[in-house]
Amino acid sequence: MIDLVDVSRTVPSGAGPLTILHPTSLSIARGRVVAITGASGSGKSTLLGLIAGLDAPTSGRIVIDGTDITAISEDALARLRGEKIGIIFQFFHLLPSLTAFENVLVPMEIAGVADAAARANQLLAEVGLQARGHHYPSQLSGGEQQRVAIARALSNDPAIVLADEPTGNLDSTTGRQVIDLLVNVSRQRGRTLLLVTHDPALADVADDQVQLRDGRIVS
Amino acid sequence: MTFVLRMVWRETRASWARLLFFFLCAALGVAAIVVLRSVVQNVRITLTREARSLVGADIVLQAPRPWSDDARGRIAAGIAGVVVRARTEVVETQTMVRAAIDPNAPVKLIELRGVEAGFPFYGAIELSDGKQYTHHLVRNHGLVVHEDLLADLGLQVGDALAIAGETFEIRASFTRDRVQQATGLQLGPRVYIDLADLRATTLLARGSRAAHEILLRVDEPDIDATTTRLRHLLRNDVASVRSWMTLEDRLGRNLTLAENYLSLVGFAMVVLGGLGVWSVTRVLVQEKVRSVAILKCLGASARAILAIYVLQVLLMAAAASGMGVGLAAIAAGAIPPDVIKPLGVSSVTITASAAAQGASVGLLVSLLFAVVPLLDMRRVKPLRLLRADVGAEATRRRDWAGWLIGAAVGALLVGVAAWQANSLRAGLYVTAGLAAVGLLLALASRIVVRLVAPLAASRQFAIRHAVLGLSRPGNQTRVILMAVGLGAFFVLTVRALQVNLLADLDEQLGSNLPDLVLVDVQPDQLSGVQAALGAHARRPPSLNPHLRARIVAVNGRRQALADLDAVRKVGPLAREFALTYRDALEPNERVVAGQFWSGRQTSVASAEDADAEVSMAEDLRDDAKLDLGDVITFDIAGRRLRARVTSLRNVAWGNEQNGGFVFVLRPSAAVEALPQNFLAFVQLQDGSSSRNAVQRALVSAYPNVTIIDVRDIIGRLREVVDNVALGVTIVGLVTLVSGTLILIGAVAMTRFQRLYESAIYRTLGASTRRVVMLVAVEYGVLGFGAGAVGAVGALALSWTLARFLFDLTWRPATGLLLGGLAATTLLVMVVGVVISLDVVIRKPLSTLRGEA
Repeated sequence: MIDLVDVSRTVPSGAGPLTILHPTSLSIARGRVVAITGASGSGKSTLLGLIAGLDAPTSGRIVIDGTDITAISEDALARLRGEKIGIIFQFFHLLPSLTAFENVLVPMEIAGVADAAARANQLLAEVGLQARGHHYPSQLSGGEQQRVAIARALSNDPAIVLADEPTGNLDSTTGRQVIDLLVNVSRQRGRTLLLVTHDPALADVADDQVQLRDGRIVS
Repeated sequence: MTFVLRMVWRETRASWARLLFFFLCAALGVAAIVVLRSVVQNVRITLTREARSLVGADIVLQAPRPWSDDARGRIAAGIAGVVVRARTEVVETQTMVRAAIDPNAPVKLIELRGVEAGFPFYGAIELSDGKQYTHHLVRNHGLVVHEDLLADLGLQVGDALAIAGETFEIRASFTRDRVQQATGLQLGPRVYIDLADLRATTLLARGSRAAHEILLRVDEPDIDATTTRLRHLLRNDVASVRSWMTLEDRLGRNLTLAENYLSLVGFAMVVLGGLGVWSVTRVLVQEKVRSVAILKCLGASARAILAIYVLQVLLMAAAASGMGVGLAAIAAGAIPPDVIKPLGVSSVTITASAAAQGASVGLLVSLLFAVVPLLDMRRVKPLRLLRADVGAEATRRRDWAGWLIGAAVGALLVGVAAWQANSLRAGLYVTAGLAAVGLLLALASRIVVRLVAPLAASRQFAIRHAVLGLSRPGNQTRVILMAVGLGAFFVLTVRALQVNLLADLDEQLGSNLPDLVLVDVQPDQLSGVQAALGAHARRPPSLNPHLRARIVAVNGRRQALADLDAVRKVGPLAREFALTYRDALEPNERVVAGQFWSGRQTSVASAEDADAEVSMAEDLRDDAKLDLGDVITFDIAGRRLRARVTSLRNVAWGNEQNGGFVFVLRPSAAVEALPQNFLAFVQLQDGSSSRNAVQRALVSAYPNVTIIDVRDIIGRLREVVDNVALGVTIVGLVTLVSGTLILIGAVAMTRFQRLYESAIYRTLGASTRRVVMLVAVEYGVLGFGAGAVGAVGALALSWTLARFLFDLTWRPATGLLLGGLAATTLLVMVVGVVISLDVVIRKPLSTLRGEA
């Protein structure tokens, strides 16, 4: 499903090139829930960004469902994300000028899905927010915003869901609820879930764990 | 596409009010274009419809002298074979009149028009009592006068006027005569008289100034050919032949030119609005960076995202253009009839073509100004949702596509300007001019920011933070300085120039300027006129011989002016010149080459004896390639005079007191014997009784002498200056309003940033008063900067125009500029504080919790 072959990432910095991800190879099978753990600055988010096609590796290949995403254009990458990858961020990143319902709707509109409105309502119901669909992000609590983000990430029924510290901005109770929701929904649908977290307790819900330290996989 | 359209709707729903505000600036420019174009088009529609009435006939032949038998013969030959439906003659001249009943009544200069039965062929003399004009009204010493004259002299219909020593009865008055509009400055109200009566007076004596016209009514198909034939036959006479069709053409051309150039004023205002659009789009892009990154994460292509925001801008621009047209309709309806009456129209309706042009320019310019900042959206990396430092890395790379599109936008702007001016060159100049002004203002803004930078070390909290705020990232400092600075610059320049022009007029009034100019004084009337002036004159009048001459040969080579082309080639030499003779230079003259004579020339007893001496204004050396030593042959009322150029003079034309002549002859018996009359410049004792008494005495004794009251003319000039200044000031004020709108919008756009800062300041213990002070000082500094940019610009431009265009002694108008500087500072400060007030008084917690 996801194959990384000798993928590295180096960025320019004041003191010369800085390698934030050393050559790494990794293979994740379909339907697995994988937690990527590590301390701040260990390269977790960089790895996630590379898998999402949000960033380009300095070297190596990334193959998503048979497609080498290091060899395709920005617009093709955007299409791929729209069809196969759902992303959930620590800071939710909902569109502030759109209601919760519209936020869930947008990926389906981009992909040209036919019964988008019905599906958006269904997804909101699944995350327990059917009654809040007409609210703007600023009118929702952090937990509610993250649940909208989960519904949005699942809207095109992607094969892969990537979550970057999805509970990092929530209190522990709400965080736990969000993780349970995310893992349950992914398992029910047989989706591959990559969960970036620095919380070992949250990582325990995963089938596999990948631990990073200083840009290298240590376990 | 559905996604794009839906997103346009959602984005517009969220921010339309804020965005539309900026596009309002463009709407003002659109309104200006629509109103200006509509006014000119309305005038054109009326004038073209009435072109035949304005000419009064199908063909008009006009000459400054009575038609000779020879000329009449050629005219007869020219119209032989053409069916002439009607023919009539008209003579126009100027004279002084007064109420006949009282020899001490005030006098007035009038435009006298002698007409025959049958006049006018077209058009109408609209009588005040609503009755029809007929020739019976003027036959046998009758007059039909403009109603202004009755008001000026306190007379009414039935009273009598004294003209050239004879008494005429006022039989009717008229409100308007849309017949044969006089070209040039009309010196007084018009009076109609029977041509036979006019010819019986002494007014048309040899040498008098009058226009002699023959009016023809012919069938329409014959007009062009007959006009051309008559022009050819009269090519060697000082005469003009015109038809209503040529007038229509000329009016059409002049009006098109006026319309196009006025539209450029509107274009400049739309560009100023475009600056506002550019600024709002820049802030919009900054605000939307995260949304764009999210959309990219969700699978939207860069093209789709760009399409969303370009369509949004188009929607706003279309709304603004619509508003502009609406504003124009309101403004056109609000123009007072008195303002447009002199243009020949009583009301202005918005024309469809003006509305279409204005709206298209608004749409195009808004789009062009928005496109460049919108292009940045292509470069937003979705990765920035994970890592905030991504933006900086992306913008470091050179964006060639962006540069290319920027260049294309520049070219398109030139195209829009060229389209408005209907001339590529004008379009280029205007765009380059605007770009130069923009660059200068941007530079000035940078200097202002740099100059106040040291204040960041001030001990005063408000000053320190206000100055820091001016260089805050994403601030609107430069845009505000440019927009408001430009408005202040326009208004102050015009006002400074007006101060200079009026001060110059006042100076002339107070100096040696004559009070009266007497035209057409015959040689045998000289002593009588001097006696009549008598004790009224402050000093003996200056009497200048006045000879009308045409140049017929230079260095023996005949000037053959066979046709219009030949006249054009000869250029400045083809016209009639006013000559004088004297043996001394005037104060406004100095010799730049050769030697000016002293005393009379005794060797020339008659014109044939030898070459006379002539001094020429140096202007003609450049214009007509004449130089020292050339021998010019003049034709003076049929008499020839050969004269050698023995000196060149520099003449300060703006300062002429005794006429200002291109050619001055050396006095000699031959020169003095030529046909001539005299111009007298008279300075009177103070007081208006002296002026009235002199005018009355001269009118009754010498009816052929035209008296020009210089103070009257200067009063009229002052009105013209005032009116022009008012017109330009209105444009300047609209620009200032645009600038203020941009200012309000800019403050509103940066509101969110300010909101956060204000909340932090207040959390850290700053009182509301202190935060208000901070905002006031920040905008006060901005306003001072904009005012300074405007005032310094006005100082420079008014000096340049006064020095090089108007040839005036420049005055810095310090009070005006300081007042302007203070007003601009106050304006920006008040607007800034008022718009930011809700930011300042809002509870800080709601802002910090992100509920704003």
